Amino acid sequence: MDLTLNTSPPYLGFGLGLRTCYFEDIIDSQPEVDWFEIISENYFVEGGKPWHYLDQIKERYPIAMHGVSMSIGSTTEVNFDYLRDLKRTIARIRPVWVSDHLCFSSIGDFNSHDLLPLPYTEEALTHLCDRLRIIQDYLEHPLILENVSSYLTYHQSQMTEWDFLASLHQQSGCQFLLDINNVYVSARNHGFDAMDYLNAIPQQAVAQIHLAGHSDFGSHIVDTHDQPVCDAVWQLFQRYAQSRLPINTMIERDDNFPPFDSLMAELNQARKLAPLNWSSND
Amino acid sequence: MTDLARIQQAFMALLNGTDQDLINHIAPQPGLDAEHRALIYQNAYRIRLTKVLEQDHEMLGRYLGDDLFDDMVTGYLAQYPSNDPSLRHFGDKLPHFLATQLPFSEHGILSEIALFERLLLQAFDAPDTKRLALSDIQQIPADLWPNVVFSLHPSARLLRCQFAAIESWQALKHGNPPPSPELESEHFWLVIREADLRTAFHPLSQHEYQCLQSMERGLPFSFVCEAAANIHQDAESGALAVMQLLQKALTANWLGDYQLP
Ligand SMILES: [Fe+2]
Repeated sequence: MDLTLNTSPPYLGFGLGLRTCYFEDIIDSQPEVDWFEIISENYFVEGGKPWHYLDQIKERYPIAMHGVSMSIGSTTEVNFDYLRDLKRTIARIRPVWVSDHLCFSSIGDFNSHDLLPLPYTEEALTHLCDRLRIIQDYLEHPLILENVSSYLTYHQSQMTEWDFLASLHQQSGCQFLLDINNVYVSARNHGFDAMDYLNAIPQQAVAQIHLAGHSDFGSHIVDTHDQPVCDAVWQLFQRYAQSRLPINTMIERDDNFPPFDSLMAELNQARKLAPLNWSSND
Repeated sequence: MTDLARIQQAFMALLNGTDQDLINHIAPQPGLDAEHRALIYQNAYRIRLTKVLEQDHEMLGRYLGDDLFDDMVTGYLAQYPSNDPSLRHFGDKLPHFLATQLPFSEHGILSEIALFERLLLQAFDAPDTKRLALSDIQQIPADLWPNVVFSLHPSARLLRCQFAAIESWQALKHGNPPPSPELESEHFWLVIREADLRTAFHPLSQHEYQCLQSMERGLPFSFVCEAAANIHQDAESGALAVMQLLQKALTANWLGDYQLP
């Protein structure tokens, strides 16, 4: 079954990452947000506050699910216990789309809880295509993959990261969640031009955009997601969006949470920088 | 092993601190050398998992202080690396670790504080089910009472402490110095998520603890009464005490349901 073809998620507009500390702000103020993205694993639990609030929020807003632990690139067995939890959560939430990361996180029982880069090789491409097929067949749902930031590259790599993504799309039909901050972080850490990367990914391969902040350590930068989106990333987003059809765009903040209004201000900044036809028409 | 598998094994060995071979797979680039690039991942791994234990065990952290807490994390990570995709289970073995590893095992209160904090976490997102009300049990026919099996709400956890773990937790939470860890006799507690979703804990008498424990084990009501009779030394005051507890538990929304034979 190829679930990835002809199943592009709908264009919904501008979204925010839904985090626990904002539950009450959102329920009380019903902000002008087109959709929210949850961390899938936070809802593998059965009850209590997470579900109490999500049940109310999903009444009013479309929900996208974003996982952090699938480890699709692992060479050890697919973790079907994990997929069973994910599938059960998908059935309960009925999300607009489901994503995880293009990386590996675990090997067998050992979980690094990090998003570790794959070597960009033909072997890894074939492996990912196989895993995508197995996972999507099991979930009965297409899976969108996010590019991760990285701090190293491997001797083994035979192509650039962007050629790797383009090939993966070509071979599997898989769509991407393009994290522009992650592209910027990797571009700085590896010395490539972020626009070369962004321009190499075909428009039809991009289902969503993440915009986030990072920490600059001088010698390298780390995608800590605990800062506002920086000017350079805003500029990249603007240049990238300029010539493209609307893509679901989201502000992602995972730590050092500012007041909800600050996130709304960033969301409105994204709306302002995007072409006019990206503004949702509700 | 394929090339891809070899890199992945090497990466995990690097994070786990058992092998540095990954460095040989890292391509040279301007700026940072391979060792530094590897170190970024090693640091991130440790920081991320340390943070999980800090968040899950805030009062244990205050009790131990930064240096001992760091030692604990180092020892725990080496012995129990995360084996679950969800970070919420990472600290599950911490009470056991503290109870069995020197120097922590010399202070029994540490394991009890850790266990208490884990029970709070479990109560937080346990399944939602209805709470049993007084009116529900009034419908139980009199002749079936001996065989009724009551169950606690799924978020309820019973805790028996030999040390002043909860008292210390509370003191630290309020920024006060913890009391002496020694207790004259054991203390008993119920941890539960209240109907308004707050996570709470309540002191129990030993008798209440034992009755609730027999319910938790799925024993029928007659067995619960029997256990109480043994403590109170006669059946009548035992039964009375159980009825009082039942009323308290129903009023406080501690019970989830009952089953008839
Ligand atoms: Fe992202």
